[in-house]
Amino acid sequence: MAAPLPDSTLFAPAAGAAAFTAERPRRRAYNLDIWIPAAILVIIFAGCFLWPLIGPVPPPVGGSILSAGAPMFSPGHFLGTDPVGNDIFSRILYGGQVSMEVALAVNAIGLVIGGGLGSIAGYAGGIVDAVIMRVIDVLIAFPFLVLALAISQGLGPNERDVIWALSFFSVPAFARISRAGTLRLHGQTFMLAARLSGTRPWRMLLRHVTPNVMPQVATFALLGMGVTVILEGALDFLGLGIPDPSPSWGNMIALGQGTLSAQPSLVVVPSVFLFVTVVALNLLGDALRARWGTQ
Amino acid sequence: MTAEAGAAAAGPSSHWGPAAPAAGAVLRSPMLRLVGRRLLAAIPVLWGVTLLTFAVMNVLPGDAAQQLLGANATPAEVHALEVKLHLNEPFWVRYGHWLGAAVTGHLGSSIQSGQTVTSTLAQRLPLSIELLAYVFLLTIVISVPLAVLAARKPGGVTDRLSMMLSMGGLSIAPYVLALLLVLVFAVILRVFPAIGYVSPGESIPGNIRSLTLPAISIGFPVACVYTRLLRADIVEQMQSEDYVITARAKGVSQWQILVRHVLRNSVFGLITLIGLNLGTLVGALVIIEPIFSLPGIGQALLQAINSRDIPVAEAVTLVFAVVVVLANLLTDLLYAVLDPRIRYGRPTA
Repeated sequence: MAAPLPDSTLFAPAAGAAAFTAERPRRRAYNLDIWIPAAILVIIFAGCFLWPLIGPVPPPVGGSILSAGAPMFSPGHFLGTDPVGNDIFSRILYGGQVSMEVALAVNAIGLVIGGGLGSIAGYAGGIVDAVIMRVIDVLIAFPFLVLALAISQGLGPNERDVIWALSFFSVPAFARISRAGTLRLHGQTFMLAARLSGTRPWRMLLRHVTPNVMPQVATFALLGMGVTVILEGALDFLGLGIPDPSPSWGNMIALGQGTLSAQPSLVVVPSVFLFVTVVALNLLGDALRARWGTQ
Repeated sequence: MTAEAGAAAAGPSSHWGPAAPAAGAVLRSPMLRLVGRRLLAAIPVLWGVTLLTFAVMNVLPGDAAQQLLGANATPAEVHALEVKLHLNEPFWVRYGHWLGAAVTGHLGSSIQSGQTVTSTLAQRLPLSIELLAYVFLLTIVISVPLAVLAARKPGGVTDRLSMMLSMGGLSIAPYVLALLLVLVFAVILRVFPAIGYVSPGESIPGNIRSLTLPAISIGFPVACVYTRLLRADIVEQMQSEDYVITARAKGVSQWQILVRHVLRNSVFGLITLIGLNLGTLVGALVIIEPIFSLPGIGQALLQAINSRDIPVAEAVTLVFAVVVVLANLLTDLLYAVLDPRIRYGRPTA
């Protein structure tokens, strides 16, 4: 009677989704819609983290003023240099590291804390649910950016505090998603069977709720990473993220703003990288959502 | 900002809105009960927001007295001003004072300018509201035609093009879009002003021109999210709803079914979403208004945070929070008004 209990259903459709296979989009050969964005992400990721280790990349800071303002494709500076003589390509790579680290960390925090809180709220119901969700509501009604601004000012702008600031956005979002997913499991037969056989609440959460909510939460994490990359850039852009000499895509865009008409490439180049990364994350998230049949 | 909204809301059509008011439970005026319950639930949320703002502002290093007197002030001078402004009292006492006054409608006055917060808001809110209204109009004008064109023939050329466009649009950061728009339309083409605000009193075309680039910067990414959701909903309804089959059997043309029947049904899901998303739009004001030097509440908030001006920061976040809470409530009500299945208290499909 009970559905087989899935051990790791990360790659299996969520319970009940099988009935709707007819409505799912036809799967394309080789799943190009998954592999192309995934490949782009791997290239960007590897480029940012590995290329500075093995390739001839000049340091991102402390460039000579003599080589300042070089246009794109000049010798030795593939993407040119900025007004203080730093190599732009190198700054893109090191700035990308910051973006990736922040995006991964913020979503990991959101997934663990927010996902956990949401599942607990959805599973326990009653007063626990009410209290947790009211707190989450406060965080959502609170203009997130304000909190982020204030935190990064209060704690002093650096990468670790940017992560904390952005987590105030990711935790409530993940909590809502995982609570909704948990609520949807309430009527399922396997949940009832597990409870009737005396499974303890924490075990219910870990073994039965978590694997079933995971596909939704994991696809959301990909979309969330896209959002995080944009928001991290926004903090940098407002001068409240990664402080100036060290590079990040957001502060490169902000610095380029001053010379927008004279040297637009200073804004355009980091913007393109930001855009491609976010598009790839969104495409991958979308494709996986369609594939796993989660909503 | 935008993709998050998309992900959070990307459900089947029946999950678009928030949960229907306790379906089937109450028949006598479920509407009033809904309003009452939601307003009651909003009180702790709003209170939490004010407390959080106060706490956050309190954590920030330096205070308004230091900011007002500058770096050269002696500690004694700073202390004297702190006493005058009641900044030396414990956190809970200050919060209690503020809350007590706020409940009776007194939001205090700005520590920086001495102007009352109410008049600051009255000065700055109209611009932000006008901008948001422009954004709202823009998102509808962009997303509805795009979604309809795309959904007319799923998988067709128009569909793919509009889906590509919207994927690109929702992935672009508003501040990047703002700078690119300034580069193209203000620096190169010189069609729109790069910065500044012209009030409608001075010149109405000038007013619209000064708000166009900011409105596109905020609205386009959001419109792209809506396009995708609206298209998905239309396609789903066209394939699965009984009334579509009935209409088709009657011989209504495909186009008519789409525009007359399905779109009408889907648009209210969209309206719900727009309401729920108002919070993120309001947040975008904080980034976009300073880029274009628009003296709205977003800019006021940024300045208030930078100068540790607690009364102004409190008031603006409170306004933001009230907007979010009210928008959620209104969309719930609109949802109930527009969807008879909810109005009569029957469970939705």
